[in-house]
Amino acid sequence: MRVLLIIPAYNEQQALGGLLSEIQALPRTDGVQLEALVVDDGSSDRTAEVAQAAGARVLRLCRNLGIGGAVQSGLRLAYRENFDAAVQIDGDGQHPPSELHSLLAPVREPNAPDLIVGTRYRSKENFRSTLLRRLGSWWLRVILRVLARVRVSDPTSGYRVYGPRALRLFDETYPYDFPEPESLAIAKAAGLKVSEVPVTMRERQGGTSSIAGFSTIYYMFKVTIAVALTYMRALRWKAKTDDSRSD
Amino acid sequence: MIQGVTDKYWLFGAACLLIALILMRLLFRERITLQGSMSFLGFLMLLGLMAIAPTTTQRIANQLGFTLMSNFFFCTAIAALAILHLRALITLSRVHLRTIALTQELAILQEKLERSLPAREEPRSSDTRAS
Repeated sequence: MRVLLIIPAYNEQQALGGLLSEIQALPRTDGVQLEALVVDDGSSDRTAEVAQAAGARVLRLCRNLGIGGAVQSGLRLAYRENFDAAVQIDGDGQHPPSELHSLLAPVREPNAPDLIVGTRYRSKENFRSTLLRRLGSWWLRVILRVLARVRVSDPTSGYRVYGPRALRLFDETYPYDFPEPESLAIAKAAGLKVSEVPVTMRERQGGTSSIAGFSTIYYMFKVTIAVALTYMRALRWKAKTDDSRSD
Repeated sequence: MIQGVTDKYWLFGAACLLIALILMRLLFRERITLQGSMSFLGFLMLLGLMAIAPTTTQRIANQLGFTLMSNFFFCTAIAALAILHLRALITLSRVHLRTIALTQELAILQEKLERSLPAREEPRSSDTRAS
């Protein structure tokens, strides 16, 4: 099974080297062939050089597209090069590569899910995020359950596995505003099977989060509208696709 | 009283003409596209005509229920600006999405090219050695 590790990175020269070394040091699993791809999202530091020196494939985006655009670049490449699955893993070192085994385990099972989300809220060993962030995550869970009927305990997690059907879907359409929760709504509307796996996550190894303090509340307001719109749009898109296939 | 107010609108017409001239100059220098600025030119022309033909404008304003012609001017300008803004927003969003797709394609092609170049160069160097 060929698996592409998509690492979106924006000015992550400090954390990236360590992350790529960890990936290289992973014990080989039978039948799994891992390839690391760093998507340099228009960084102004040496992110691309660090990635290249560590032996990773590098996609250099000539301008900053944000996390959604960067991840979709990797998903597009995975789809076009016929990878069996793609794993999204943050370039800031929050997602330990040692958890890849747990994340990839369901992909090899029969009737495998199309999208697997690594959740930090089901493992007791995880670090505790801020109260506002946990509150925001709770609100997103409610919104996704009510609007899109998706049951995921960590909707903002960027540690995910995309199966072949998800790769095909997200090659065509991927959200750019709030990609993590919105992509769950899209996947559900398109009839993909979404599941989750408990994983351990670390605190960021470098940089700062763009969502902090009271901006979380504004973020939640925007994301609620975005999820509702995305779900409706995806339903319409699926109906159109089904119609064109039946013709 | 209304006629007294409308007499002063020539200044507004002159301002519209001035903006239209600036727009034409930008078009001439290819700083903006004709396709994109047609609606703006149309809007300026409409406001200019309203200013230079106040009697007709006043008649239309009265028929639409406006007692003061300045209110009619104000409403027309706001509505036209809202339409122009919406049109600009649609164009901008289209360009933004297209730019994202192009940036991604460019990065994928560049990576493919960089990966294929060393592979191509290798046989060439061995050819040189053999000769």
